[in-house]
Amino acid sequence: MAFKKLYKKNITAFFLVFLQILFLSSEVCAKRRLIDQMGREVVIPDNPCRVIALAPSITEIVFAIGCQDRLIGATQFSDFPEQAEKLPKVGSYVHLDLEKIVSLKPDLCIATKDGNPKDVVNRLEALKIPVYAVNPKNLQTVMDTILETGRILCAEKAAEKTAANMKQRLKKIKELVKKAEKKPGVFFQIGIAPIVSVGTKTYIHELIVLAGGINLSQGNTTTAYPRYSMEQVIGLAPDVIIITSMARGAVFERVKARWSRWSELPAVKNKSIFLVDSNLFDRPAPRLINGLELLVKLIHPELYLEP
Amino acid sequence: MNTNSPFFLKRIISVSIILSLVLIIAIFTGLSTGSTSSGPGDVFHSLFGKDKTGSMLDTIIWQIRLPRVLLAALVGAALSLGGLVFQALLRNPLAEPYILGISGGAAIGAITGILLGLSRFPGVSSTAFLGSMATLFLLLAMSSGQTVLKKESLLLSGVMVNSFCSAIIMFLISMTQDSRLHNIMFWLMGDMSMTDLNQTGILALTLLPCFIIIFFLSNSMNLLLMGKEMAITMGVNIKFVTLTLLVITSFMVSSTVSNCGLLGFVGLVMPHLLRLLLGPDHRVLVPACILGGGSYMVICDLLARTLPRQGEMPAGVVTAMIGAPLFIYLLKRTKK
Repeated sequence: MAFKKLYKKNITAFFLVFLQILFLSSEVCAKRRLIDQMGREVVIPDNPCRVIALAPSITEIVFAIGCQDRLIGATQFSDFPEQAEKLPKVGSYVHLDLEKIVSLKPDLCIATKDGNPKDVVNRLEALKIPVYAVNPKNLQTVMDTILETGRILCAEKAAEKTAANMKQRLKKIKELVKKAEKKPGVFFQIGIAPIVSVGTKTYIHELIVLAGGINLSQGNTTTAYPRYSMEQVIGLAPDVIIITSMARGAVFERVKARWSRWSELPAVKNKSIFLVDSNLFDRPAPRLINGLELLVKLIHPELYLEP
Repeated sequence: MNTNSPFFLKRIISVSIILSLVLIIAIFTGLSTGSTSSGPGDVFHSLFGKDKTGSMLDTIIWQIRLPRVLLAALVGAALSLGGLVFQALLRNPLAEPYILGISGGAAIGAITGILLGLSRFPGVSSTAFLGSMATLFLLLAMSSGQTVLKKESLLLSGVMVNSFCSAIIMFLISMTQDSRLHNIMFWLMGDMSMTDLNQTGILALTLLPCFIIIFFLSNSMNLLLMGKEMAITMGVNIKFVTLTLLVITSFMVSSTVSNCGLLGFVGLVMPHLLRLLLGPDHRVLVPACILGGGSYMVICDLLARTLPRQGEMPAGVVTAMIGAPLFIYLLKRTKK
C-alpha cells in the first residue's frame, strides 16, 4: 500500500515536471486568467517577478509574505518595512506617475479599489500592463487579500502562515476582551481640524468593537468619516479619546491640551487621551492586528495588569 | 481693406510659419522630457523611425507624453484665443476667461457632471458648457446697466462672479466625501497627466472648427474695435458677430476646463505679448494666438513636470504664477 502511494505520488510529480518543461520549452510565457476582487477579468503572468504595489498597504502585504524580491516599485509614503523606502517611487497612490511605471517594465501592478482612481487603472491596462485590483477593507478581507496576493505571487505557504498568525492573535484578543467588565466609549479622532471621526462603515469601527469599546460615532451612517464640532464631542462624553495623526510631537501636545481644558470629560479624568501611529490604522495591511492589540491596551489597560 | 489683402496674406503666412516652428520646438522639448531620461535623438527616432519596435520608450512617448503635450498645446491655443476675443469684444485689455469667471462657471458645471457620474464626453463637457454660458450671461446682465465696456465695472463683476463660482466649487467639494475628491482637486488645478490620445483627439475635433470660425470673424473684430458706427457702415452685423464670438469662446473655454480644470491667466500672457510684437490686426493675431498660446502652455506644463523634485505640480500653479503678476502690471499701466 505504502509503496503504491509513493509510486502514485511520484508519477504525478513527474507529470508536473514534464508539463513544466513543456511549457518552458514552448517559450510561451505562461499566463493565467483570474477574476480580481473588483470582479474584473485579468490576465496575469503565472510567475510575476516585476511587480509594482500601487499603495503602501499593498507594499506591506507583499513584504509580509516574503515576496519583496519581486517588487520593483512602490508609491510615495511606502515606508514600512524600512527596505520599502529604497524602492523606486511611482508617485503617490492617488496621483501615479504613469511614465515611471511604464519605464520600470512591470509584469503586474497590484492596485486597491479604495485608493487608486479607476481611470488610472484603465490607462495602465490600455498600456498593456496587467492590473490586479484588491479590496481589503477590514480584518477578514485583509486576511483574504493576503492569501490572494500569495496565490498571485506564488507564495501560498508564506501567505497562509501570515494569515494564520493574524487569525491566532485575533482569537487571543477576543478571549482577552471577553473578560472585560465594561465597554468604555471611545472617540476615535482621525482629523484634527476639522475634527473627523470614523463611522460604522469603516474597519476602524470594527477594530474598536473587537477591542471591547463602543465607537461613539457609530450612529452616524450617512458618511464613513463624519465631522464633529468640539461641542458635539463633549456631549458624547468619551471615556477614551484616541487620536491618529501623521503629525507627531508638538501637534499632539497641542490637541491634547485642547481636550484637557474640559476637566469634566471622562477621558480627561481617566487620563485616557492617546496618540497612535496613523499608519497602523489607515492601511488595511497585516499590521492592522498590531493596531488592534494596541487598542485593547489603551481601552482596557486593566486586562494587562492581571498576571 | 481688400486692396492690401495680398500683403496681409503674406504677413499671416510668415508669422504662422515662425510661430509654428516655435510650437514644434516646444512640443519636441516637451516630448523629450519626463521622469525617465531620454535623449532628443531617441525621441526623434521613436517619432519618425520606420521600425516600430514597440519598445518601452515608444510606449512612453506615444501613449503618455504625446497625448499630454498635444493636450497642453490645444488648451493653450484655446485659452489664449479666448483671451484675445474677450479683450476685443469687451474692449478691455484685462478681460480673460478665468478673470471674468467664465472658467469658474464651466468648472461648476463640470464638477456637477462628475458628481452625477456622467462620462467625460459628451456628459461633463455639456454641463461645463452650460455652466460657462450661465456665468457669461450673468456677467453681461450685471454690467449692462452701465455701458458694457466700462473697464472697472466689468472687471469687478468678473471678480465677483469668479469668487461666487469658487465658493460654489468649495461647497460642492466639501459635500463630497468619497475618493473622487482627490481626483477633483487635481483636475481642478489643471492636471494633464492622465490624458490619452482619444481624449486629446476629441478635444482637437471640437476646438478646430471654433478656431476656423473665429479666424473668419477676425476682420469683423478689427472693425468692431474701430467703433460701432464704423462697423455698421462697413457692413458688420454687430449682434450676430458678438453673439457668435461669445458663444464659441465660452464653448472653447468650457471644453478645455472639462479636460484639465482651471488654468488661470493663460488668455492674458500670449495675446498681450503678440499684440506688442505684431500690432493690433486680428487677422494676424488669431493664428498667432493659436500657435503662440499652444507653445506657451506646452512650456508651462513642462515647467510643472520638471520643477518639483518629486512628482509633479498642476500646470495651473505655473500659469497663475506667471500670469497674475502680469495682470497687476497691466492694470497699473492701463490706469495711467
